[in-house]
Amino acid sequence: MRSDHLTDRDIILLVDGELGSGAHEAREHEAKKHLEACRSCRSRMAEIEGTVADFVHYYRDSLDAQLTPPAGPRALLRAQLENHAASKTHGWLFADHRVSIAASLMVACLAAFAVYERGTSRRTGDLSIPKNSLTPGETRNVTIDDVCRGTQEDTVPVSLRRQVFREYGINDMRPNAYEVDYLITPELGGSSSIRNLWPQPYSAVWNAHVKDELEDRLHGLVCAGQVDLATAQREISRDWIGAYKKYFHTDKPF
Amino acid sequence: MASNPDAAISLPVVTSTATGSRPAEELAAQRTCACAASTLEEEVVAMFEQLRNPLLRYLLSFRIAAPDAEEIVQEVFLSLFQHLRRGKSRANLQGWLFKVAHNLALKNRMKAQRQSPAAAEAQTDSAPDPEEQAADLQRRNRLLAVVQALPELDRWCLSLRAEGLRYREIAEVLGISLGAVANSIEKSLSRLSRADECRRSHAQ
Repeated sequence: MRSDHLTDRDIILLVDGELGSGAHEAREHEAKKHLEACRSCRSRMAEIEGTVADFVHYYRDSLDAQLTPPAGPRALLRAQLENHAASKTHGWLFADHRVSIAASLMVACLAAFAVYERGTSRRTGDLSIPKNSLTPGETRNVTIDDVCRGTQEDTVPVSLRRQVFREYGINDMRPNAYEVDYLITPELGGSSSIRNLWPQPYSAVWNAHVKDELEDRLHGLVCAGQVDLATAQREISRDWIGAYKKYFHTDKPF
Repeated sequence: MASNPDAAISLPVVTSTATGSRPAEELAAQRTCACAASTLEEEVVAMFEQLRNPLLRYLLSFRIAAPDAEEIVQEVFLSLFQHLRRGKSRANLQGWLFKVAHNLALKNRMKAQRQSPAAAEAQTDSAPDPEEQAADLQRRNRLLAVVQALPELDRWCLSLRAEGLRYREIAEVLGISLGAVANSIEKSLSRLSRADECRRSHAQ
């Protein structure tokens, strides 16, 4: 198109509502003003709009024929969610419903233990980063397929949690204070060994929630083939804060 | 990032354009339906209602068989449940769902290619349409053929755009820059438009 007319790119971005995004609001305003005065550009825009609208219609139409009614899949999802929710209700204390009586006793014991321990808690320093001697990070044998299948973190058994707290000399076992976290997340092939676990504080700037974001980011990059799995495992275990800064291009957590 | 598990799901609003080409009716409903959900499970089911078809279409555009695509969608929403249950970020969940689906689609394809390279290849050849002579069908097939001839990344961008995702969301799903998305979509839509111009000039 001639330079005094809108380019196809401008028209497409305008059609998509993307021309004025960010700092380009003035550009959108100018383009709309030009359109009002220019029959040629209006005509070109109508052509592009027609093509785009028809393409989207054809695209969806060609695939909609393969869609089945949602009732069955919806029911299946509900059933699976109920199963997941049931396991959540009993939570990390016990995975097997058959041991509910024993587990109830365990809850009572733990509650008593927590009350006792709360009174004797002591400071343990900044645990945003694990102690390398205790938690160097450990992986299991996985392929990239295994990793990208959507493995979820298993909840850490109570006995192991207590062992981790004991190793780090922490008496304050309140669940709101720390997450016993995997240094190398299972989503990146991390193992469930105690050498891959540490009590990560929720209250620190570089806390468990921030690390979760990094885990998601690295998982996505690995599955997109943009970061090698071994590299992701190495970076998160050696310096997860440094890895966060690197992959989010920031010095501070978002 | 800390987030409140009890907060209602917040999804980006995608405005309808003059083309009416974005599935605005599906997307406009997204902000309201999930808000009424009383439990996490209900929230996930509400999102399933809204986004199952767009996700299925996106998976089918990878030429994944419909039953496999349906299984992947189940897996995507179970992952969403786990994601929310763990109190993870609720920002742009629509983009998050497409991203998970995209990764699973790639994995499914790799698996299919390993198991039977010939069968995976054969899936790309669509059966001839018996009514191919009809003019609108010809146009439809021509436009869809243009899309099939695009590089894979451009096809993904276009499919996601056809499902109503904004450019920044597409960039997030595919892990590319916003500029790369804009370039890709401009290039693809220009090709489609040129293919249509040929039709118009032949018709005259």
